[in-house]
Amino acid sequence: MKKYVMLLIGLTFFFPALVMAEDFLGAPVIPGGKVLVKTNARLELSVPEGHDAVLGYYKNALKKFKDIRIRDWEKATYIEDDGRLPWHSITISKDGGSESTVIIVRDNWTWILGTLVLRFFGVFIVLLILFISMSVSGSIISKSVARAEGKKVSAGS
Amino acid sequence: MTFNEILDLLNGIISTTGVFNFDPKVIVMWAIASLFIYLAIAKKYEPLLLLPIGFGIFIVNFPLVPMMGYEHGRPQLLEFFYHYGLEWEIIPCVIFLGLGAMTDFGPLIANPKTLLIGAGAQLGVFITFTGTVLAGFTLKEAASVGIIGGADGPTTVYLTTLLAPQLLGANALAAYSYMAMVPLIQPPIMRMMTSKKERQIRMRQLRPVSKREKMLFPMVTAGIIALLVPSVIPLMGMFMLGNLMKESGVVGRLTESAQGSLMNIVTIFLGVSVGATMYADKFLSWKPLFIFGLGLVDFAVCTIGGILTVKIMNLFLKEKINPLIGSAGVSAVPMAARVSQMEGLKADKKNHLLMHAMGPNLAGVIGSAAAAGMFIAMFH
Repeated sequence: MKKYVMLLIGLTFFFPALVMAEDFLGAPVIPGGKVLVKTNARLELSVPEGHDAVLGYYKNALKKFKDIRIRDWEKATYIEDDGRLPWHSITISKDGGSESTVIIVRDNWTWILGTLVLRFFGVFIVLLILFISMSVSGSIISKSVARAEGKKVSAGS
Repeated sequence: MTFNEILDLLNGIISTTGVFNFDPKVIVMWAIASLFIYLAIAKKYEPLLLLPIGFGIFIVNFPLVPMMGYEHGRPQLLEFFYHYGLEWEIIPCVIFLGLGAMTDFGPLIANPKTLLIGAGAQLGVFITFTGTVLAGFTLKEAASVGIIGGADGPTTVYLTTLLAPQLLGANALAAYSYMAMVPLIQPPIMRMMTSKKERQIRMRQLRPVSKREKMLFPMVTAGIIALLVPSVIPLMGMFMLGNLMKESGVVGRLTESAQGSLMNIVTIFLGVSVGATMYADKFLSWKPLFIFGLGLVDFAVCTIGGILTVKIMNLFLKEKINPLIGSAGVSAVPMAARVSQMEGLKADKKNHLLMHAMGPNLAGVIGSAAAAGMFIAMFH
């Protein structure tokens, strides 16, 4: 038994990656990354691999989760969880050449409430634009109808 | 033939019957089905939908019935309706075509500022979303539950099929049940939110709307929605096509079909296939109960949102709007508008609000579709 314990300690010493957390809030952490920032809500890593390789790793690691959405932005790829996982997003930078930055952020209510408020006002804006268009088109048509009727009346008299 | 062979034969026949595959849980589903059939027949609550939904629930909750599954890779009858009608998002859009062909947008065109009431009445949709997420639903499920408060059946079915098909039965049932119960749910909230003086506000008669304006409306609306919320254009596009057919007056036969036989046919398929998604195994959990509970809160908050929007608008308007028409901002056309009319008459016997309330009522349809579009955009 003692032998096995020693072996385990030895492995721990020689292979620190094995004992480092392989996930952050349940999100997989790509091996070989250097931690830049770590709080209980955010993990920022510098990874010595290009964007495509990192994205490939995450696509593979997350394939069993069905509520994952991957959005391709200009400067980063944004992986978002729409399910009930404790993390909200993984952002992989695109501009680092052979290096990438990976940012994992905890699920947060700020995002949920923020997006809801924006979308509620979005509904207002859609209907406001419709209101303005209807008011403008309504007044133009009403005037043209009134003018046409006026002409008819004057022609009749 | 020996006695044992006869017994084997009998055993083989009996094992193909439902009797020996009976699961007591289905009794609860029969009770739920009977309740909705009762409400449809005896109480006339949304009978066109609750009756086929109720029967759909009833018929799939028997053991071994070949209705909602696949056999040799081919869909069984109700699975066929569900797959091609709902999963392919056809039925809600065809229903919107029929609704468009039935709708007169005159009151909304005459008083377009009521569009804002339709937006305000979506408040509950977004608040319920938050409550549902807190309760442990996923974001997509929460969006599909939230839209119930918009009181628009086809929009609820459309969004739920897209985001959380596993909740389709519960969401559709909650939406249609509460739409039927608008006359019970809304009046106490309307009285609580308004003073007698406010309820007595008389509104100027609506201006007449020319045919040209009515024809232009579906084009303008479809164009704006397509630009701003393209994800709901399958619904809104069909809605506006139906309306243009009606207002143009040149395709009478098509209009008649869209608002009559076509609408009736798809309503049967919608009802029965929604009901058929409600198996005992799937349905009997805390989630449907929670959806029903939250659906009620959703409706109440949407009603409050509509009334509050009118009150805020009144701060800036010279000609005040009767806040009772705010509650009609939840769609439920024309039931919610009728409730505004009835409450208005209770406060002032000569104050007829029906046509004024039709404006926010129709705006609610557009508002709930816009809210659905916002959710779709969030996830796609």
